[in-house]
Amino acid sequence: MKEITVRDFFDAKKKDLALSLISEPQTLAKKINSPHVNRPGLALAGFLEIFAAERIQVFGETEVRYLQSLKEEDLLIRIREMFKLDIPCIIVSKGLSLPPIMEYLANDLNIALLSSRFATINLISHLSRYLQDIFALEKTIHANLVDVFGRGILLTGKSGIGKSECALDLIHRGHSLVGDDLITLRYIDDQLMGRPGRDFGYFMEIRGVGFVNVEHMFGIERTRTQKTIDMQIELMPWQDNMDYERIGFSDSYAEHLGVKIPIIYIPVSPGKNVSVIVEVAAINMILKGVGYDAAEDFNHKLHEEIRKKSMQKKIDNETKNSESKE
Amino acid sequence: MKQKTVRVKNKLGLHARPSALVVKAATKYRSDFFIEKEGTRVNGKSILGVMMLAAECGSVLELIVDGVDEDYLLEEIEGILNQDFGE
Repeated sequence: MKEITVRDFFDAKKKDLALSLISEPQTLAKKINSPHVNRPGLALAGFLEIFAAERIQVFGETEVRYLQSLKEEDLLIRIREMFKLDIPCIIVSKGLSLPPIMEYLANDLNIALLSSRFATINLISHLSRYLQDIFALEKTIHANLVDVFGRGILLTGKSGIGKSECALDLIHRGHSLVGDDLITLRYIDDQLMGRPGRDFGYFMEIRGVGFVNVEHMFGIERTRTQKTIDMQIELMPWQDNMDYERIGFSDSYAEHLGVKIPIIYIPVSPGKNVSVIVEVAAINMILKGVGYDAAEDFNHKLHEEIRKKSMQKKIDNETKNSESKE
Repeated sequence: MKQKTVRVKNKLGLHARPSALVVKAATKYRSDFFIEKEGTRVNGKSILGVMMLAAECGSVLELIVDGVDEDYLLEEIEGILNQDFGE
């Protein structure tokens, strides 16, 4: 399980969340290992049987007003009970002021007390996004990731099949590169996000040329820091017996980190322009998304044609029959 | 070279799915393969060609095969065209 210290979090988000530290600096050593945030509400009222202590605790106006309503000795008991449950840190929203006893207890029991100028709801959504990103499931694969007409296309296939060359051709045609060779896939918001596997910049290795820097060669507008993955395209050597899709009915999926994405297999042979096929696949996907499916449309027209012919035959037969009777 | 006359058996005729089966089977073989219907001859390895025939149920097709593995090709295509595809 991944974890970060409260100090890491504080240093990273100090500016974005307008955070300030109320407790002593040594309280920042605790670890955060949950991607969720919690509002303690009932826990402050003494109900601690179900309490997500491992989460960052956000105190909004409700919590602060409730604490202020308590008598000094009750306040002391409740806070102490909660602080003993090993919570990572507390963030108070809107810069609300807490009873002084809390600051004392926080220092004593080594729990970081932070204050944010954000409103509770904004603080929680911002925090959730940050934590989800930090704790996202991820894996790194050998692939290229390009943005083609706004769709994230993951190019996979054996080494040397021409993934980078295909990506380069797409960039040359005005599309953008997310990463070459190593892509880190991350599970965020039920979607698959991809970003470069390493942070060296937008280098690509093109066989016969060596390294090229896409950002310098084509400009920063042809690069993307990350992209949701919409489709995987597997490039493979042409095989005579392979069952390539001919119509576009079959729905094949690849699964990464539990997310299913459509996959298509494209045979590659020398002189075949793969990037055009990738573009076409992306546009076809956009069309399907807005409700136009070329395969269905064609088949519908074909069915109509066949039906007409069958009807005509029936009519012809009937006329023939009645003529022969006469 | 061999030639054989067959009838389309399935109710909905040679629509996209059966056509794809025919073409996919045919491309596995080295022999040339043509289908003729009412004087129109198409390449049996071309999906658009086969579908453009719009062969309805009961229509007569002439299968023409030519090459080293023509017997096997013909046998497999006949097998496919004899199915009813659950229609």
